[in-house]
Amino acid sequence: MIARRALLAGALASGLSLLGGCGPSRRVRPADRIRLWVAPNEAEEGFWKIAVARWNAARRGLPVQFTTIPTAGSSEDTVLSALVAGTEPDLCTNVFAGFAVQLAALGQVVNLAAMPGYAELVARRHMQAILPGWTQEGMVAALPIYSSPTLLWWRADLLAANGLSAPPRRYDEVYALCARYGRPGQRYGMQVVSGRSWADRWFDFISLYYAASKGQPYLQGRHALYNNAAGREVAGFIDRMFRQRWTALDFDAEEPLVSGLAAGAVRGPWDVERFAKLYPETLDRIVVGPMIAEAPGPGPASTFSDSKGVVVFKTSRVTAAAFDFLAWVLGDEDLNLLWLRRTGLSPARGDLLQNPRFADYYRTNKIAAAYAAHVASAKPPALSEYSIDIQKIMTAQLVEPLMTGRRDPAAALAEAVARTDRLLEAQA
Amino acid sequence: MNRRPHLSREAWIGLALAGSYLLFTAVFWAYPFFWLAKLSVTQWRFFDTPVFTGPRNLLLTLRDPMFLQALWNVLRFLLLYVPLAFVGALVVAFGLQHVGRGKAFIALCFLLSNVSSGVAMALVFTKIFSATGPLNRLLFDWAGIAIPWTTDPQLAMLAIALVVAWKFVGYYGLILYSGLLTIPKELYDAARLDHAGPLTRLFRITLPLLNPQLMMVLVFAILVSFGLFTEPFLITGGGPADSTVTPQMMIYETAFRRLQPSHAAMMSILVSAATYLLIVVARRLFERKVTLA
Repeated sequence: MIARRALLAGALASGLSLLGGCGPSRRVRPADRIRLWVAPNEAEEGFWKIAVARWNAARRGLPVQFTTIPTAGSSEDTVLSALVAGTEPDLCTNVFAGFAVQLAALGQVVNLAAMPGYAELVARRHMQAILPGWTQEGMVAALPIYSSPTLLWWRADLLAANGLSAPPRRYDEVYALCARYGRPGQRYGMQVVSGRSWADRWFDFISLYYAASKGQPYLQGRHALYNNAAGREVAGFIDRMFRQRWTALDFDAEEPLVSGLAAGAVRGPWDVERFAKLYPETLDRIVVGPMIAEAPGPGPASTFSDSKGVVVFKTSRVTAAAFDFLAWVLGDEDLNLLWLRRTGLSPARGDLLQNPRFADYYRTNKIAAAYAAHVASAKPPALSEYSIDIQKIMTAQLVEPLMTGRRDPAAALAEAVARTDRLLEAQA
Repeated sequence: MNRRPHLSREAWIGLALAGSYLLFTAVFWAYPFFWLAKLSVTQWRFFDTPVFTGPRNLLLTLRDPMFLQALWNVLRFLLLYVPLAFVGALVVAFGLQHVGRGKAFIALCFLLSNVSSGVAMALVFTKIFSATGPLNRLLFDWAGIAIPWTTDPQLAMLAIALVVAWKFVGYYGLILYSGLLTIPKELYDAARLDHAGPLTRLFRITLPLLNPQLMMVLVFAILVSFGLFTEPFLITGGGPADSTVTPQMMIYETAFRRLQPSHAAMMSILVSAATYLLIVVARRLFERKVTLA
């Protein structure tokens, strides 16, 4: 009987201790290393493996220990769970600007602009033109590691067959192409709308708006700004493309550039690797053009930048050492080149095509060079805690009514902006 | 001299079994439940201390047009889903009755759709329903028309209902089939002697005696409707015009995208209450006591 009681008590104790282990650990963490989380993909993991090994071998500061973000879903959910449980690292990459702003609003991340060595890093990395898009009231919640402008991919053979020797830059060139190439229900001049999710607005309306407005913001404080000349230009373009049936409601069934279902579509630099693996023959026929506008200016057109940055958490006991490591990685040209070679994503620096260190790479990678040319003119999303709601309104009140023809462009713009303003006012 | 009460061997085993269950319930049910209740009347954003705000979250939720739209969408979904699911399940059940060999294999095949990954299924149906997908290609080639399955506010919910019905029809069919097996053959023989036709037998014998199973399917359908997430999230993203936004999508996005867990907690309580209420109403309206004595 005593043995049985002991067994039961033991089982109960082990159960309780097991459950106790599920709770957050508040014990003092050792401060002799910097813990880093990186994006869970092979290319980026490979880069950080080398960078961290170099840092640790050089003994420049506290050693760094890195791991991929332990996520099965989205990085944001995992970071949030870790923060609540107290298991967050000191540094975390793969953070998009909107999430960084949310973390800043919750007081969870360090203002990197206030860190010693920040100004030197910005100068060394030539980030002066890029950082305004990441700065809100003097605060920089995340430092961009890479910047991926959205550009238009065109099938060079289809352009040539329809009288275009170079990618279109203006709406009227696209209209002419669509009129010649398009056959409603069979093939289309261009994929205009990228998808249904709120995040897809970055790759259609917002990209086109930045191109039309030459990089002007679509949101300022509590006001949406896109009911203006640039917004009307873009809304008019979307409306005309759908009314003329020069584009389809969606292109979910297949990759439209492969079959020629669409002659052009917005794609990012991450698609290069995908196409190289899955559709190498199509990739050979792709020519990359700028984001189109009614009257584009000289030089690289503005567009949206799908960028990810790195944050330093306030709970870190080693913020200064973590920033030193960050400044070393981001500021080192050799490591930037290594990043480029490993991931194919342009480091967020404004001198990519002028710096001789990157010349060899871009000489042999024409598509990458096209993206690099737009890094300085590409803009990140509006820095708002309410990115999701703002872009959901953009979807439901502007893009979808234009797709189906339920509203004319002026009415759709007015409604979307009015609703966004009401939302931001209510949240304030 | 006081002696401690002596517990028998059975009492110790019972105590251990009940204790482990109670412990499990306390940790994984009671604690989250009370935490949810606390959250719903406080303001908390993950890292601060919850501050009591009384009915603020309730008023905020009830005034949220998107949340009300999501609840309305559930009712729209039910109106489409219930007939599809019932007719499909009855066809499966009656079909199984007429299968001779390989009944278990066929039943398993029907269950496959139920156990397959919702994410994979949603991706497949996204392609099937696409404006440029195989279904529309076929329609365009045959009749020169294309149906905006997922881009029309009226049709998008039908597309979701078709996908979910496809997933659950086999499962519901097996439930109804188990009910069909319990109906005595003599009842049908007697009805035939009274010259009752097939429709009369269906509406006077089969369906009334299947009431417990039909109610079970109805309750499951209501639970599925209020728990809908994967299909609309992946196929339509809640659009077009928010016509397929569901309460579960709202709760997820409010808690983990907008970072407002208190607001999401109140939403989840209201959704649970609405689910319970609808089930009670459905049972009051349609449940009948069935006796074969």
